[in-house]
Amino acid sequence: MIPEQVIHDIEPAALRERTAAYRRDGWRLVQICSTTLDVFELSYSFTRDDRFEHLRLRLPLEGAQVDSITEEYFGAFAYENEIHDLFGIRFDGLKLDYLGNFFKTSVSKPFATSMCVVTGGKNNG
Amino acid sequence: MGERTVIPFGPQHPVLPEPIHIDLVVEDEHVVEAIPSFGFIHRGLEKLVEKKDFHEFTYVAERVCGICSYIHGMGYCQAVETVMNIQIPPRAKWLRTFWCELSRAHSHLLWAGLLADAFGFENLFMQCWRIRETVLDVIEETTGGRVIFGSAKIGGVRRDVDNDTLKRCAVKIASAAAEFEELKKVFRDDYSVKQRLCGIGMLSRDDAWTLGAVGPTLRGSGVRTDTRLEGYAAYNELKIEPIVETACDSYARCMVRMHEVTQSFDLIQEIAARTPEGPVFEKPSGYPNGEYFARLEQPRGEVIYYVKGNGTKNLSRFRVRTPTFANIPPLLHMLQGCELADVGLIVLTIDPCISCAER
Amino acid sequence: MTRNFLAGFAYLLLAPVIGALLAGVDRRITARMQGRRGPPILQPVYDLLKLMHKESIGARRTGHFFVLGHLVFMMAAGFEFFFGGDLLIVIFAFALSSIFLVLGAYAAHSPFSHIGAERELLQMMAAEPILLLTAMGFYIANGSFRVEEISASPVPALLWLPGIFAALAFILTIKLRKSPFDLATSHHAHQEIVKGLTTEFSGLSLAIIEVTHWYETIMLLGIFYLFLAPYPAAAVLLVAVVYLLEILLDNTSARMKWQWAMKSSWTTASLLGAINLIVVYYWLGVQP
Repeated sequence: MIPEQVIHDIEPAALRERTAAYRRDGWRLVQICSTTLDVFELSYSFTRDDRFEHLRLRLPLEGAQVDSITEEYFGAFAYENEIHDLFGIRFDGLKLDYLGNFFKTSVSKPFATSMCVVTGGKNNG
Repeated sequence: MGERTVIPFGPQHPVLPEPIHIDLVVEDEHVVEAIPSFGFIHRGLEKLVEKKDFHEFTYVAERVCGICSYIHGMGYCQAVETVMNIQIPPRAKWLRTFWCELSRAHSHLLWAGLLADAFGFENLFMQCWRIRETVLDVIEETTGGRVIFGSAKIGGVRRDVDNDTLKRCAVKIASAAAEFEELKKVFRDDYSVKQRLCGIGMLSRDDAWTLGAVGPTLRGSGVRTDTRLEGYAAYNELKIEPIVETACDSYARCMVRMHEVTQSFDLIQEIAARTPEGPVFEKPSGYPNGEYFARLEQPRGEVIYYVKGNGTKNLSRFRVRTPTFANIPPLLHMLQGCELADVGLIVLTIDPCISCAER
Repeated sequence: MTRNFLAGFAYLLLAPVIGALLAGVDRRITARMQGRRGPPILQPVYDLLKLMHKESIGARRTGHFFVLGHLVFMMAAGFEFFFGGDLLIVIFAFALSSIFLVLGAYAAHSPFSHIGAERELLQMMAAEPILLLTAMGFYIANGSFRVEEISASPVPALLWLPGIFAALAFILTIKLRKSPFDLATSHHAHQEIVKGLTTEFSGLSLAIIEVTHWYETIMLLGIFYLFLAPYPAAAVLLVAVVYLLEILLDNTSARMKWQWAMKSSWTTASLLGAINLIVVYYWLGVQP
């Protein structure tokens, strides 16, 4: 059966704590995804057995930053570096930081603006 | 303690036809550190969703990867269909599953060939790719394309395949399967192959899980998982038993893929026999509004398609988390402390597809 | 004496030709084993001509000098062998030739060729003892190191030296750079160190290395011929069978790592050779 997808809305400050709880309970980090709306919407997906859950938090478009979860899941470094390079979100405490050199893009933060959302910014993508 | 040398590995390297760069810090031939860098071919395909109509985007999604392309297109369709609440006709579901399994078989055979090439067994490489040709022929016969065949579209599949063709294909696959069993024996029993694979690139069960490994990499470390068990497409009507090996080394990952090819060949024949009659396309109406994380099993492992619609013809976000992307942290773990001669092999055992990891 | 000189010069002239043809046949048979059609028999020659037209790119010119040394000493070794000279001189000139190639690889500042060179040295360490054992075996069996006298002996050396013959066949795989011993450099640039030893050579230098390899192959096969020298037809057949087995082995095994290469050659091959040597020594000592 395709599992029900549960999305928990959380505050950015609670991220580390919630992630640590998932880690303790033996969940696997599936992915981290960022979406540009009128805010950045970050989704952290976890899975265990036949369950599939997401943590959802919102960050402002300007000066977005959030705690890194590489302490709990080291593998998150790939997602966090990717999101840093494409969306310009800063991750505090990133254990393997490529300092913006993970992806080599000709435009900086190409995904930080969206044509589908009227934010006033011109799309470069 | 030998002198330390930095050996550049990639992005253009004969053993690894993928644009990943790894700086290997070696002492004699012992790798003490592996520092990867990526981003040579970031194409920004996810961004393109804002410019293309959501129907058209199926073909963009398919071009995320050049090997497992079909499942990318299909996964995208599945995500959009769920958002739009479309029930696709059963025959379309079965046909999709048919092509999924063909994709898996040809991807694994390609990989097996590359692995053989990496440990310098040219003959085995040629034989793997020879069998793969039969699979590609079947794909061509049923879709018109060989690798990127654009058969999925939102609401079903692009074209029907008549039952005679399906039966004929099943026969071809059966003969390929018989040949493959011979080939599998070499991977399983050959002394020199085992010398190169056993005990190389260890990834313990716990490390695999916490570092987020997926697919054969995870199953080779003894975790019983397979997204096909969720029963998307027609998988809910097929019996899938995940193939699990517990040795945690390169040999285990190799054997997982070998058995999966056999499994795929069996499934293909079963699907060809059981595909129900009926229409293959249901015209969708309206625009997607809502979000969904679709989860499918690629040959390389679990893949995630995230789709967020806003009620217009353009989606506001499409994201794909390819299996290779998830397998990179485990790969770095495996590379620490290996032998230089094993680097190419170990990188290959995650079946890397860097182009689709970067999109 | 004139005959000896003629044989020596014939080697210098004909070895590259026969070597090239042999390489062409090798590629064809290999292709057939792999279910391919394979290139024309003359493909190695075409490759060589193309290489000679190509620009030689290298960071350092010393590499060219070493490659020249590689060729000259290989020709000297082969000449001495077919001239009927001292087997020990042949082996020493041969070793020196290989050392020149290693030096050439070290001259380029490339980690790939450096590691290739290191592996080549290890492979030489694995191979040289067997070559010396072979010379000693011939000496014990025939009382002379001179190829001329060995080949004139009415009793084929194979009778006395089957173990050494097997060990030498083992070494041939290393010298022919075939799987499982194609780890220093292989015939196609498909390994973790690209083409290893010869990665940094191009154009004319690479062409010379290729020609040297043909000289080397013919000389090594010459040593195999020596085992059945009293019966020329049988000896040629023996050489052909050995070479076919090499191709078969190449197509049925993976590339091994250097640890395995060292271990296997020092245990299996050296043991075979040494036991054979000891047995023959006492046997012949008892009934002179």
